Amino acid sequence: MTTGPTVEPVDASEVARRAQHEAEESFGESEPRLDTEEMILNVGPQHPATHGVFRLLATIDGEKLIHAEPIIGYMHRGYEKLVEQRDYRQITNLVSRMDWLSGINNELPLALALEKLMEIEVPPRATYLRVAMAEMNRILNHLMFFASFGAELGAITPTFYAFREREDIQLALEMATGGRMHFGFFRPGGLKEDVPAGFFDQALKGVRQVIERLNQYEDLLIGNEIFKQRTIDVGVLEKEVAYSYGVSGPIARGSDIDFDVRKDDPYLSYEDFDFEVCSAPNGDCFDRFWVLVHEVAESAKIVEQAIEGMPSGPIMGKVPRVVQAPKGEVYVRTENPLGELGMYLISDGDRTPYRLKIRTPSYSNVSALSHVLKDTYVSDMIAILGSFFFVLGDIDR
Amino acid sequence: MLRVTPEDALERVRSALGDLAVEPKLNFGAVDLTCTRENLVEVATKLRDNDELSCRFFSFLSGVDRTGFTVGEGDDAATGELEVLIHLYSPVHVISVTLHVPVPVEDANCPSITSVFSGAIWHERETWEMFGIAFQGHPNLVHLYLPEDFEGTPLRKSFRLPSRMTKPWPGAKDPEEAAAGGGR
Repeated sequence: MTTGPTVEPVDASEVARRAQHEAEESFGESEPRLDTEEMILNVGPQHPATHGVFRLLATIDGEKLIHAEPIIGYMHRGYEKLVEQRDYRQITNLVSRMDWLSGINNELPLALALEKLMEIEVPPRATYLRVAMAEMNRILNHLMFFASFGAELGAITPTFYAFREREDIQLALEMATGGRMHFGFFRPGGLKEDVPAGFFDQALKGVRQVIERLNQYEDLLIGNEIFKQRTIDVGVLEKEVAYSYGVSGPIARGSDIDFDVRKDDPYLSYEDFDFEVCSAPNGDCFDRFWVLVHEVAESAKIVEQAIEGMPSGPIMGKVPRVVQAPKGEVYVRTENPLGELGMYLISDGDRTPYRLKIRTPSYSNVSALSHVLKDTYVSDMIAILGSFFFVLGDIDR
Repeated sequence: MLRVTPEDALERVRSALGDLAVEPKLNFGAVDLTCTRENLVEVATKLRDNDELSCRFFSFLSGVDRTGFTVGEGDDAATGELEVLIHLYSPVHVISVTLHVPVPVEDANCPSITSVFSGAIWHERETWEMFGIAFQGHPNLVHLYLPEDFEGTPLRKSFRLPSRMTKPWPGAKDPEEAAAGGGR
């Protein structure tokens, strides 16, 4: 037996009600009925927000990013092959050029790895000077991203402020090393030479100025309503995702991770200094930037403490004439301004490394971009890119 | 954060992995172990999920060409093969784990760990193009740094820099070596 559709008797008012209901429903569904087509949007390789030759291939549907694939390699220089052909002392100047905003920090893990393998004892003055210089370089790096992130969101003023503050610290580093970006100053065993007279005064002047003026920065960007609107809840990176991509540095600390190599796995003499690890809970662009700005103050505090407690004495340990690491392997990591910089050094007893794996922070950080950009809007894309604080040379090595 | 001593970390790795870990030992404070490629995914999962370890931070994955690296002395001396090198870190217990996975040159492939650590996607692409180690189960094994039509595996020891073959490197370690073709 089959039953047809039952027809219920309905009155006129019920018909009218249903008609209106249907009309409302179809109005609500009107969006999917408007056929949209996916479109490929190519950002870069030449784009001001990419800080170098970085390309983003975005598939967009209307204003929404369906998929975004970072394409890298335009600046690949093959460091890991080049270092296998060079004397350890030549490598210092190569690795200095990886992350060009934090040259002196890049030289650190190489020196530390060699010192571990060769069992070189570094004099305390060299260690303290290394800390002071690494932190000064961190301030320079962070101020640069303070400037560029503001500029990317349409604020020009932070650039002028940041560059004014950078100059005094830059000058101090220039006094000591002769360089402004690529210092080549950390050698296995210590430093190239002692710092000149007047270095400490210049460095203190620079960092005290930064501490004093940091409040202005807070008002300028962090307290700015437009800035908040464009960054809060935008581009959220979840904690577990950050772990699984190996995201580190200020970007990870903006996602409620209090991981900082300086505290967790102390190297140099960071245990002697009193400083906080800044972290923020939400993982959005605003929190990443908040962490970046607040780390400047902590670094400035470390520089002050290091200079106040600066020991006297030699700046170079006992290093043989030929730097030749004994057979062995070691993994050394340091907290670079942008995250964990690691070097896995395998030595077969020669004067060149057998293999030097360089784990750069920007590389791991940017590999998570694809995940973060998914289902965000084109208008937020530049804010998210900017908040990942990456340097192309650090990705492409 | 519950910081554990390196010895304790080694003991935890031993009890969590059992026979899966070959020769776990300490190397400059980090737990250093070897595992076969068949066990790699299981080992990585255990290192990540075991509460005593929770190595959730994916530090890096790369390769090493050990074909020119001699192990042992005299008659026992032997050269190695290819190797996948993984470093994991536990932010909870502050444990560093270095994982060595030997891969034979003739059969250069290894299971992918992208299902365990999403961050391995780029690292495995890089290792594939630089060492020619194919990662099975990788969602998109294409070139990362190098052009699409690039041939060769640059980070293997058999790959020599072309400029090095024709002209002595000006930065060779010693003048005699520069004249002789210089270094490797």
